[in-house]
Amino acid sequence: MSVYKHEYRAYTGALTPLWSRVVVVVRYAIAEAWSSRITVALFILSMLPVVVYLVGIYLANNSLARAIIMRRDNGFEIGAGFFLNLLATQCWIALGISAWIAPRLVSFDLADNALPILLSHPISRFGYVMGKLIALLACLSPVTWIPCLLLFAYQGYSSAHPWFMANLRIAGGLLVGSLLWIAFLSILGLAISAWVKWRVVATGAIFAVVFVPAGIGGIITGVLRTRWGFLLNAPVMMTQLWQRLLGAPEMMRDQLHLPTVAILIVLTLVCGICVLMLNARIRGREVVRG
Amino acid sequence: MTAMNDRIVFENVSKFYGEVLGVNRVSLNIPPGVTTLVGPNGSGKTTLMNLMTGLVQPSSGHVSVLGLTPADADRFFRQVGYCTQFDSFPRRLTGREFLLDSLLLHGMSEGDAFRLAEEAIERVRLGDAGWRRIESYSKGMRQKIRLAQAIAHHPRVLVLDEPLNGLDPMARAESLALFQELSGLGMHLVISSHILDEVDRISDQVVLITGGYIVAEGDIHQVRREVRDKPMQVLIRCDQPELLASRMFTSNHCVEARLHADGKGVFLRTADIDEFYRLLNQIAVEGLIAIDAVAPADDDTLAIYQYLIGSDGSAS
Repeated sequence: MSVYKHEYRAYTGALTPLWSRVVVVVRYAIAEAWSSRITVALFILSMLPVVVYLVGIYLANNSLARAIIMRRDNGFEIGAGFFLNLLATQCWIALGISAWIAPRLVSFDLADNALPILLSHPISRFGYVMGKLIALLACLSPVTWIPCLLLFAYQGYSSAHPWFMANLRIAGGLLVGSLLWIAFLSILGLAISAWVKWRVVATGAIFAVVFVPAGIGGIITGVLRTRWGFLLNAPVMMTQLWQRLLGAPEMMRDQLHLPTVAILIVLTLVCGICVLMLNARIRGREVVRG
Repeated sequence: MTAMNDRIVFENVSKFYGEVLGVNRVSLNIPPGVTTLVGPNGSGKTTLMNLMTGLVQPSSGHVSVLGLTPADADRFFRQVGYCTQFDSFPRRLTGREFLLDSLLLHGMSEGDAFRLAEEAIERVRLGDAGWRRIESYSKGMRQKIRLAQAIAHHPRVLVLDEPLNGLDPMARAESLALFQELSGLGMHLVISSHILDEVDRISDQVVLITGGYIVAEGDIHQVRREVRDKPMQVLIRCDQPELLASRMFTSNHCVEARLHADGKGVFLRTADIDEFYRLLNQIAVEGLIAIDAVAPADDDTLAIYQYLIGSDGSAS
């Protein structure tokens, strides 16, 4: 019979708040994302359009440059249309970056059976997914809303007119439009990472989820002559949403416009499916045999 | 502290993974000390461990650890340390970083985390290897860093899934000594292991499980006594084993005798251990046979495992 001295004392010090523990997961995920040189290369490439647009803003606001290069004074205006193009460019680049980064974030933990060890800490499955999500948002933000807002600020600073305050809606649109898109990409990327083990396949799957339904939606729209097919077409759907957020002129015919509510419902539905996919895969248990 | 707040309690717990049975109607009351979970692969040991570490929720029934449930995550996980059987480490971390992050996940401040990480590394005797990346560790070192992770935050319940796998004999002995030390301090250690002979030496009680059902639980000698359909085997060291065997066979309860390889002892099987010892006492008193030692030969975990579960893993 053992004699228990009951001398053992558990830790009784103060505990940090829950959010600070999520930071550990965020740090892991960011380190994982940036461990590849390809990520660095993609990030540098994503800055090239920003530089081009920056030069555009500079030229548009420099009267000498306008006179020399553009030959006329009012041919190149910086407005919602300009920033819509910038936003769309950066957001589609963000798709490429998320398709590269996201597949390794959850699948590595699942492959290594790391979830039991992580989840046997006071961090929930929700906290784990939030950590990964925040990491992806943090990686995609420098590609999307941050450069967009910086260019907006630069345009506000460079413009001779009281441009900044008059166009604040564009700034709001850039922020909200970017955040909606990168949140969508992040949750989609994590869901696919949780289900697809092989990186190349997962990367392909992310592109497929965005573009294959777009083709099907195009067929539906063409055959049935209905605009609702565009609800499967992420590029069209997002472009329409960004146009409205920025107050840019819409390019498609009126009868092809999708209601904003319908677009938001589709995005929410896809995110809901992704959450269900994550819920099914993010489990603390180890392999149960037999 | 009430009695229940010092125990790991399973109350009629069942866990199903879809249609697959994990464990069924398990009721346990595990006191402090070393408890060994024994069973074949797929018997439900890991499910039991996952249930007591809050990694899975029971399909029915109730699990509490020292009166706490995983719903109270902060307090629950402060008391529980889990050492999984898998090589599950975040990539590119050193042993020290792994421990630090684990402690930060437990909600420790950075200062406490540094101190506790150092203490844990010292306790498992990992030494300077703590500064190296885990990828470069041997299997034994990985076991040690996993163990360090489980004990670093000073839990009162330590759940160890195959903690001796991959360890060399010296490291095993060190680990067993550490387990014994921790249990002696009043800690709960729940260990699953296939290395029964070594774990047996430090176990206070054993839980035998197969097919998701608990076959037996309790002090190993008590369990052995309750397995009445398997005659107990006793080794008697004496100067005249043949004579002793013939004397013992005069009573009906003795069913088998086998000479020890060195000829200085005999293994005897008996269906009635009380009657057996009474007769043995009588023989000893007569003084015709010099008896040097008497020891049970099959009331260890391995023997119980073979009797109750069988070598094929099916309960007999």
